[in-house]
Amino acid sequence: MDLRDRFSRHRKDNRWIVGGLAVLLFFLSLIYYTIQNSRDLPSDLVTNRVLLFALWYINLVLILTILFVLLRNVFKILVERHHKILGSKFRTKLVATFIGLSLLPGLLLFVYGSRLLHGWIDRWFDDSAVSSVITQGNAVSQELILQIQQTRLRDTARVLEQIRNADFERPARRPQLGRRLQRLLNELDLDYLAVFEETDFVHGVLNPQSGLTDLPEPGERLLVETLLDGQAVRMQSVGGDEGRLVITAVAEPHKTEGSRAIVVTGTVLDPEVATQIRELIQAYQGYRQLELRKGDIEAAYLLTFLMVTLLVLLASSWVGLYLARRVTVPIQALAEGTKRISGGDLDYRVDVEADDELGVLVESFNSMTGELQRNKELIEESNLELVAANKRLAEERAVIGAVLQNVAAGVISVDDEGRILTCNGAALSMLRFGEEALVGRPLREVWSDPERSKLVEILERDAGRSGRLMSDVRLLLGGEWKVFEAKVSTMRDRQGNVRGRVMVVEDLTELINAQQRAAWSEAARRIAHEIKNPLTPIKLSAERLLKKYRQGGDDLGEVLEEGVEIITREVHSMKSMVDEFSRFARMPRPQPTEVDLRQMVEETLSLYQGLKPGVEVKGQIGSNAMKARLDGEQMKRVLINLLDNAIEATEPPGKVTVSVHKLNGRLKIEITDSGKGIPARAKDKLFFPHFSTKGRGTGLGLSIVHRIVSEHHGTIRAHDNKPQGTIFTIHLPQE
Amino acid sequence: MGLLAALPATVALFGLFGSPDADKPHLSDLQVALQEYRVEVSFELVNGFTDELFERIQAGLADGFRYDFALSRDRKTWFDNRIDSTSLEVVAKFNAVTQEYLVNFRQDGKLVESRVVRERDELERIMTRFSRLPLFSLEDVNPDRRLTIKARADLGSKTVLLLIPTTVNTDWVQSRKFRIDSE
Repeated sequence: MDLRDRFSRHRKDNRWIVGGLAVLLFFLSLIYYTIQNSRDLPSDLVTNRVLLFALWYINLVLILTILFVLLRNVFKILVERHHKILGSKFRTKLVATFIGLSLLPGLLLFVYGSRLLHGWIDRWFDDSAVSSVITQGNAVSQELILQIQQTRLRDTARVLEQIRNADFERPARRPQLGRRLQRLLNELDLDYLAVFEETDFVHGVLNPQSGLTDLPEPGERLLVETLLDGQAVRMQSVGGDEGRLVITAVAEPHKTEGSRAIVVTGTVLDPEVATQIRELIQAYQGYRQLELRKGDIEAAYLLTFLMVTLLVLLASSWVGLYLARRVTVPIQALAEGTKRISGGDLDYRVDVEADDELGVLVESFNSMTGELQRNKELIEESNLELVAANKRLAEERAVIGAVLQNVAAGVISVDDEGRILTCNGAALSMLRFGEEALVGRPLREVWSDPERSKLVEILERDAGRSGRLMSDVRLLLGGEWKVFEAKVSTMRDRQGNVRGRVMVVEDLTELINAQQRAAWSEAARRIAHEIKNPLTPIKLSAERLLKKYRQGGDDLGEVLEEGVEIITREVHSMKSMVDEFSRFARMPRPQPTEVDLRQMVEETLSLYQGLKPGVEVKGQIGSNAMKARLDGEQMKRVLINLLDNAIEATEPPGKVTVSVHKLNGRLKIEITDSGKGIPARAKDKLFFPHFSTKGRGTGLGLSIVHRIVSEHHGTIRAHDNKPQGTIFTIHLPQE
Repeated sequence: MGLLAALPATVALFGLFGSPDADKPHLSDLQVALQEYRVEVSFELVNGFTDELFERIQAGLADGFRYDFALSRDRKTWFDNRIDSTSLEVVAKFNAVTQEYLVNFRQDGKLVESRVVRERDELERIMTRFSRLPLFSLEDVNPDRRLTIKARADLGSKTVLLLIPTTVNTDWVQSRKFRIDSE
């Protein structure tokens, strides 16, 4: 497994790890920042500042994450394109489309949305009517408080004027001071009135209807401030209501001697008025706070909007890239697989998990690859077997070639179109043909001369259902007659289609000559024997006549007649035999004429009708064999000789048939009997002169038949008739 | 040519964002005094109390400064000279009904003082001027060491380009070097 495969395998896990680390980093950073700011920032401001910074930090992390995701993918695409990885262009288009579709609308939405937000916030704070109402309300409230304070300051100053000459230091005067203060309290509608000698309390009265339970404490700071500034004002709380009690203080002018008196008055505002004033002021403050925090608010809204936009962008980019990867990774893997497989690596499998149509495609691809691999293995096995078979065939061919080259018989093979496949040396030698490049050439073209073309004719004959035929042929080669036996076999493949023919040629010239020599020796021996046989009775008759003559007996005449008769008979026998041989020797060459075969056969058969009871003799003349060019007399003799033998060999009930047909331009004559057949040992010598299985006669009948047929350039064969008998087949050329 | 073309833009940007040092908020007169082993600091924040800040306070927002202090050894060749650090938050909040400013002083988050003032000048003064502010104890510090105090003020935050928040700080200022023995 190479690095790329490992990377691809663990890429998903790495992505989760990187994502997890990013999230962890983000939260750790957020926690760190929050802790830092909560410690360092003013506590009242923490929330606002942390919110802005937290939002900005989240946005920053999101921006960096999006940039990381996009740049990482762009970088990967650039690297893939640089290395010309298959599918990188397609992935570029897909990623660009997804990123474009996610980024552009998101950014446009953000720009448009932020402008809307900005305008909305501006319009919110630019609402002059609201601003005016709130500002005016605040001004009225402030003015009201100021007027109350001014009024009370004036009242306080009047009280101070009233009691200025009172001798506070004497206790006896205190009740009178108290009454005067009570009167002034009632007169000026005050709720609280007190006199201080600088910071020391002298006396104070309280309006029991005011709701105050204790004398309010103006505080030292107020008194000091009054001494310093001549007057002072404070707003204090009453019963928890902030700002309900208006405290005013006025001090005596500076004196050269003695302490200065300070009059402090208090007025409790109507609760409803106080509340309205407070709410107006607080409303104004709230509005002002919003105005002052407009920038922060706008920033917070924009940051929130930006955060949402970035989250959407991140999600859409991630989903887009994920979808792109879901599409491109299988396609890239398939392209890579195709490349690897076209390079011969059939072990390669696309290892991509997908549960959609691409998954089906990947599965089909892997199945196809597996099938290819199996087929390749089968082909390789077959190839090995083929190579081995070829090797065997080559060896066998070499053996066959060697055998063919060394075999005495000539072997010629042709394909189904007649082109020479093989021709061994014996064939070339027999047929006296030079060692030319014969293989592949048409046999008819090679052997176009009249003599050798006879062999071509034999080769092209219809071999019938058996696919075999045999024929003898005499060729005049180099001025010398040669006799060949040609055996033709049809080559067929396993389906039975004809693939060509093989012809085995044997030169029978020497054999025939030897057989003829042997036959003539046998004939001479038989002739001598035949001549010797009559000589003995002639000699005995002559010696008997001589003896009788010397004895002079009465029966001399009788013996003479008897002896002369024997001598005459034997001489006649010898003469017949000599005449027979003489006729065989003097047999004329055939004189071919147009012969009516039907007539010839019928005339011949008529000689044998009823000759042997129980033996049927009949003829079959093919419709295409009505006429033939041959020597009619000689051929009639052939038929008679063969019919003689057939009828003699056939015991009743039996049948002898003569059939004549034309086949492939040749005349085929068959004489079939159902007789006892010919012994195998006799078949080789059947046509030899003076050979006979009958033990009588001259034994020249079949020799004559053979000679006539040969002189008609034909052939004759004897073979067994099934189930019983013999068939003599004569083939005569008719062209 | 490109450099010359970029020069006006650079100057314009500097003019836009830059400002003279004198107008920038800064700490001045950082003085150190030792009361036995206690370090007391006096300083003034100049140009820190702006109209904008006052306006925010006036509107009822709690706002102010945070002063950061660091006690360090005077060793220029060493990277970590800090002995101790502390911060002082000064946050003012205006009560519009009573027309008073409540100013809280928190050292390291702990409230150390609260003051109520009624005038802006006084408010500015107590928020920006400090005299003999006790900050550090030197009981555990080697008396032979030369020490120094560094201080800066955190003036809050602002937003750049409408949405980027940034903190606004003065530069760090450094006091004179001092030794415990020498005082």
